[in-house]
Amino acid sequence: MNAPSSRPLRRVLLSTLTTVGGVLLLLGLKPHVTTGAAGAVTQSAAPFPTPSASGTSPTGGSSSASGTRTVEGDTVQTRYGPVQLKITLRAGKISAVSAVQLPDQNPRDQEIDNFAVPQLTQEALAAQSANIDTVSGATYTSQGYIQSLQSALDKAGG
Amino acid sequence: MSTTYSPRQARHAVAPPGRRRSPAGAVLLLGWAGVAAVLALWWQDTGAVVGPADWLIGAGRIAGLLTGYSCALLVGLMARVPVLEQGVGSDRVARWHASLGRYTGCLLLAHITLILWGYAVQSHTGVVGETTTVVLTYPEMVKGTIGGLLLLVIGLVSARAVRGKFRYETWYYLHLLTYLAVFLAFWHQLALGADFSTHPLARGFWYALYVSAAAAVLWYRIAVPMRLNLRHRLRVASVVREAPDVVSVVVHGRRLSELAARPGQFLRWRFLAPGLWWTATPYSLSAAPRPEMLRITVKAVGDHSAALIRLRPGTRVWAEGPYGALTADRRTRRKVLLLAGGVGVTPLRALFESLPARPGDLTLIYRARTADDLALRYELETIARLRGARVHYVLNQADGRSPRLTADLLGGIVPDVAEHDVYLCGPPGMAQAAYQVLRSAGVPAHHIHHESFEL
Amino acid sequence: MAAETRLRRVEPIMGTVFSFDVRGAGPRATAALEDATAWLHHMDEVFSTYRPDSQISRLAAGTLALSACSPDVWEVLRLCEAAERRSDGWFSARYAGAFDPTGLVKGWAVERAAAMLSSAGADAVCVNGGGDVQVHGGRWRIGVTDPLRKGGLVTVVQAEGELAVATSGPAERGCHIVDPHTGRPPAAPLASLTVICRTLTDADAYATAGYAMGDRARPWLESLPGTRSFAITADGAAWTTGEQR
Repeated sequence: MNAPSSRPLRRVLLSTLTTVGGVLLLLGLKPHVTTGAAGAVTQSAAPFPTPSASGTSPTGGSSSASGTRTVEGDTVQTRYGPVQLKITLRAGKISAVSAVQLPDQNPRDQEIDNFAVPQLTQEALAAQSANIDTVSGATYTSQGYIQSLQSALDKAGG
Repeated sequence: MSTTYSPRQARHAVAPPGRRRSPAGAVLLLGWAGVAAVLALWWQDTGAVVGPADWLIGAGRIAGLLTGYSCALLVGLMARVPVLEQGVGSDRVARWHASLGRYTGCLLLAHITLILWGYAVQSHTGVVGETTTVVLTYPEMVKGTIGGLLLLVIGLVSARAVRGKFRYETWYYLHLLTYLAVFLAFWHQLALGADFSTHPLARGFWYALYVSAAAAVLWYRIAVPMRLNLRHRLRVASVVREAPDVVSVVVHGRRLSELAARPGQFLRWRFLAPGLWWTATPYSLSAAPRPEMLRITVKAVGDHSAALIRLRPGTRVWAEGPYGALTADRRTRRKVLLLAGGVGVTPLRALFESLPARPGDLTLIYRARTADDLALRYELETIARLRGARVHYVLNQADGRSPRLTADLLGGIVPDVAEHDVYLCGPPGMAQAAYQVLRSAGVPAHHIHHESFEL
Repeated sequence: MAAETRLRRVEPIMGTVFSFDVRGAGPRATAALEDATAWLHHMDEVFSTYRPDSQISRLAAGTLALSACSPDVWEVLRLCEAAERRSDGWFSARYAGAFDPTGLVKGWAVERAAAMLSSAGADAVCVNGGGDVQVHGGRWRIGVTDPLRKGGLVTVVQAEGELAVATSGPAERGCHIVDPHTGRPPAAPLASLTVICRTLTDADAYATAGYAMGDRARPWLESLPGTRSFAITADGAAWTTGEQR
């Protein structure tokens, strides 16, 4: 009950081991692969949590005769602070999104920007001689793909 | 001083009450439930842990959450909440606070190291650069850094090795800065804590935790003592020199019965006299409290206790309490042994006077260095004579050696000690040794009631 | 050392074609590729403005509350907003007067899919979503098509590690990028603008904004940290920004 304590070293050791073991266990039980599931922690994206499922209807907004409506969404608490967006709807389409409330620019994102970009070769090249893996260009449609360099690369493959 | 004892008060023996359950178990359970809730919060908010940076940051976050939680607990433990001070026992609560405090200091160090290292790995920068960035640019981090550093320094200063170098008062006031440190550090937890930004419920829980701790401090450490002192208006009535370095202070006040102090308890006393007003020291009541007076008996061991002899009657006294769990409530048996070492005799003197017992059932063993060190000796013998109780003194040998309190020695004085409830009070070394002896003499652990003075 | 398993796949999603190339794929990578592909199709359903039952469409029609949308919708809306701010309004998730986040969605989805594959233990990953490329891991050589010479390249980007390459221009779909201030194509349009930086969401947004800026793009792109760009003007000249000094 009220016994004077003894063997402090043993207690220190025990509590250290338990803490470290517990933390490793908790971390170890989490998946180690980025998933597409909501809430996955990836470095560049800052995923939002699942908002409350109550699905409140849009809080009212101003509307005019031409059918423009603005809707202010609820404030959602995110990883970096509160976010509240306002969307402007016109004739069944979203015509604008603006922020009513944003967290301060995520300091983590700002830091990650500082990295060194590679050099570019600038000669005009023929694709065959360039020994490339993939091609970047203006976006093609599914039709456009068929005649694109990328499809040639993908077919050659392996 | 006459009439320190009134025979009428404790003549009849009352059947000992059933063992009263200490709330310690429930309190601990609550504490651990909070830990589980905090870990569950982290679990729910964390998706995948990918790569070394995530491991480091994840561990850092867990450490941070636990640190924040325990800081609130630490504040709450020292709020002088009655269920803790009287139910669990002030000394035990203080020990919990000390060990939790040490653990929290380590957690804090771990949190800082892991987070900064993890961030550095994640953004491919050096740790020093990362630290500068975090401290200077992240929201609420300047406050957080000051708070954290303050906590670490206070922790270091409180380490036993270092504490002895300071006067008690210096250490005490430094320790009060923890309130400031915790306040400063609180804000960064909410601003940056990844797990708080996501649930309003989590934020609510965190606010509730801290607000409760703050409320407890404000109520029990400030409001309640204020009410107590305004109601009772305590003043020094007289100061009696019991022995060369032992002094009794008698305190008068109004409506003292409403104070509900029990024999065996102590209060924290602040004498409003020059040089004494800035410390509050715990001293046990050395006599059963009366409707009109309270008495403490103090051995001069430091500046503070030595100054008490110079207290002038009429000096105002500011007291907090009563605290302590070494009371008649803990008793479970008919026979009781009071085992006192040195200054530990004070609360036991109060119990000796008032604990209900039949003649022959109550024994006091008083361990001291020399006969001159036996404080209140005359009173003890008077009480013993009037109550049919026994007093035994165990003193050092003539050559100065201290007798080891062995099971044999104990058995010689109290042959049936295994059937006694034992109240034990004395300096830590003596108490520890006595505890071992009692156990080896067959006294079950739950019959030994102990309060240590290393507050 | 794992055997040189190579996984390649071509999949039509979001109105274009995605090409996956994974080197050093372990058993988890195969599963991850399935997951990534399924997830991309799912994102297409959530964001497609052509489907009346997608979340974006229902949001626009007012039948779905913003707070009830999936977290990814919030994510994309927030990124659009951020991109608009960072580019002083030159990036705009608007097309033909309607809010169309699919431009940013594509780059963002490619980036996420590449992350899924990379974290599944592959040695090197390359995901090309209709011309926007995100790579992780080992050496990748990414060619950039010549807008004026079909089948030719203007340059090759050699990537060691994480890198993204996005190209904007009229070469494939006609001028679908407008100057948000005038509502019309930019005054001095480039033939193509390629932006290279670490993550594709940014590269895509910068390429779109930069293209809309016309000749104002160069100083702006120069000011962006950790970014290199390469442009071909209408008369075939080239300029770059972000050179190492």
